[in-house]
Amino acid sequence: MPMKGRFPIRRTLQYLSQGDVIFKSSVKVMTVNYNTAGELSEGARKFVFFNIPQIQYKNPWVQIMLFRNMTPSPFLRFYLDNGEQVLVDVEDKTNKEITEHIKKILGKSKETLEKEERERRKQSHPATFGPKKYHLRECMCEIEGQVPCPAFVPLPKEMRGKYKAAMKNEA
Amino acid sequence: MSVPRGAVHAKWIVGKVIGTKMQKTAKVRVTRLVLDPYLLKFFNKRKTYFAHDPLQQCTVGDIVLLKALPERRSKHVKHELAEIVFKVGNVIDPITGKPCAGTRFLENLSDSENLTEADTTYLSEKLQELKVGSTDK
Repeated sequence: MPMKGRFPIRRTLQYLSQGDVIFKSSVKVMTVNYNTAGELSEGARKFVFFNIPQIQYKNPWVQIMLFRNMTPSPFLRFYLDNGEQVLVDVEDKTNKEITEHIKKILGKSKETLEKEERERRKQSHPATFGPKKYHLRECMCEIEGQVPCPAFVPLPKEMRGKYKAAMKNEA
Repeated sequence: MSVPRGAVHAKWIVGKVIGTKMQKTAKVRVTRLVLDPYLLKFFNKRKTYFAHDPLQQCTVGDIVLLKALPERRSKHVKHELAEIVFKVGNVIDPITGKPCAGTRFLENLSDSENLTEADTTYLSEKLQELKVGSTDK
């Protein structure tokens, strides 16, 4: 049963997480002005159609606004935290070129991303037990080779406190 | 507890003015793209903010950039007008700097008005050469 829509692959989590443009923390607003007709705006239209979902998925706190048919030339505008504005002319560029360009000027570099990934891994210790949100496993019974959970498989008599107490009283 | 800026999460936002009936305050509608969890598609979700506009220079339909105030001005006003990005009816194309409306420029882009005497003579000579060339054929 195929998915509905023109390019429904855009609506898959795998496609969304494949976006590689992650903005620096100083980028707050991204504005895209493009036209719905005309050869010069073709790249911008493809950019909006294919790449904007990926960018918004990776940068949930950046406000993205789209303006159609306001100016004859298509452009992107970024508003940074220090009041600076970055204007990117995208006339006659393909959508791949546009993503490469903004990744180069306003994206986090690979070293920064790797450093953040290492920090995140350092925060979470893999050997602890607890809620699924913070730890890998909740109980020792989840691991193969350990005593299975007594909710599913009853414990042998010798391990039950009732039996152990009875043996102690007998002796 | 020092909060350097923003008792509010959104420091800079871009929105459209929907109302100016209040004195020195503009009602701004801000749209953000929010992912629908089942369809996995982004839809615009709107939210209204009130912005302080001391000179009352906004009209309904302007696209404005708002900046968060360091502390709240009143119960609802937490932002102020930083700049008007596009004024309604008077949009300036930032790439060329010329006024435009929709997908066409309002004023003539060619500089035929600013030609000097030397330029006009040069151009008329070129035209003469072209005319001579066509009669030869």
